[in-house]
Amino acid sequence: MSARIILITGANGGLGQAIARAFLDENPDNFVWLGVRANRQHADELVAKFPKRCRCIVLEVTQPDAWRSAVSQIMAADNSLDVLVNNAGRHQDALMPNMSWAAWKEVLQTNLDSVFHGCQAVLPAMIAQRHGRIINIASLSALLAPAGQTNYAAAKAGVVALTQSLAKEVARIGITVNAICPGYIQTEALTGMSEEERKGVLGRIPMRRFGTPAEVAVAVRFLACAEASYITGSVLKVDGGIF
Amino acid sequence: MEDVNELKQRIKTMMVENLMLQLSAPEIGDDQPLFGPGSLGLDSVDALQLVVALDKNFGLKVPDPAAAKEILQSVNTMVAAIMRGKREA
Repeated sequence: MSARIILITGANGGLGQAIARAFLDENPDNFVWLGVRANRQHADELVAKFPKRCRCIVLEVTQPDAWRSAVSQIMAADNSLDVLVNNAGRHQDALMPNMSWAAWKEVLQTNLDSVFHGCQAVLPAMIAQRHGRIINIASLSALLAPAGQTNYAAAKAGVVALTQSLAKEVARIGITVNAICPGYIQTEALTGMSEEERKGVLGRIPMRRFGTPAEVAVAVRFLACAEASYITGSVLKVDGGIF
Repeated sequence: MEDVNELKQRIKTMMVENLMLQLSAPEIGDDQPLFGPGSLGLDSVDALQLVVALDKNFGLKVPDPAAAKEILQSVNTMVAAIMRGKREA
């Protein structure tokens, strides 16, 4: 496995951390750029542990200028960008009658606009290289569209559609674009759930357990590997069997 | 300054390699349209690749769709844009 340059957004969160570790474990020569915003404690800890193999980069994913700046910085340092993992995201759940327009816009911007800006920023480099791997972290909500998540489900369904459309555009250039739809994963996103809610959710998961960030991370790493060269436009569920 | 014919040859070779064209560089006419009827049959994805390749190989920026429409007509229009860029540099 040849060494690669990888950029992961939302790298301070539980899933971002697991993805970063998966790439660090894959090859001692991989270099991981950790896209972070104000909260960066966990990302900084990872950099402290692997100072020569990863670095934080401030990246406000909703801002195209921030993306351009980040990609320029990476290209100046490494002259290559092999893998982009669009992982940053957030949700603000509410039933539609109570959902503010601000909550709608913010969730669309963070989850969907960010993927557009990220892909657009890295494509010139990947086209010039004539290879690249883009993995977009969508959500099971894109496929199940649960009540209370009109904004989040719409945004993530948009990510899936963007993934499939872009995959067709760049397939012949050696760039693959795939999406992963994690189900209920043990991250900070589940911390707001009551014990009763947790039991209810577990009852709907055929495996009767929540997934771990590492179990999503290996799927990301697989889609990014050289051997996955014929897989593009795919949507991979990692959800313990929910459908 | 690079000879114009040499430049045309480099562009044609770049097109064959980057766009994986099913013909050789000498088979591409200097004035042959890139898109549309009687053309090389390129599409929008090929155009995207050409824009990136022109920047990478010749330092030619194609800043917007209007410029792309003007520059990406034929090998000759690409050569003219590169030569113009060199003169203005």
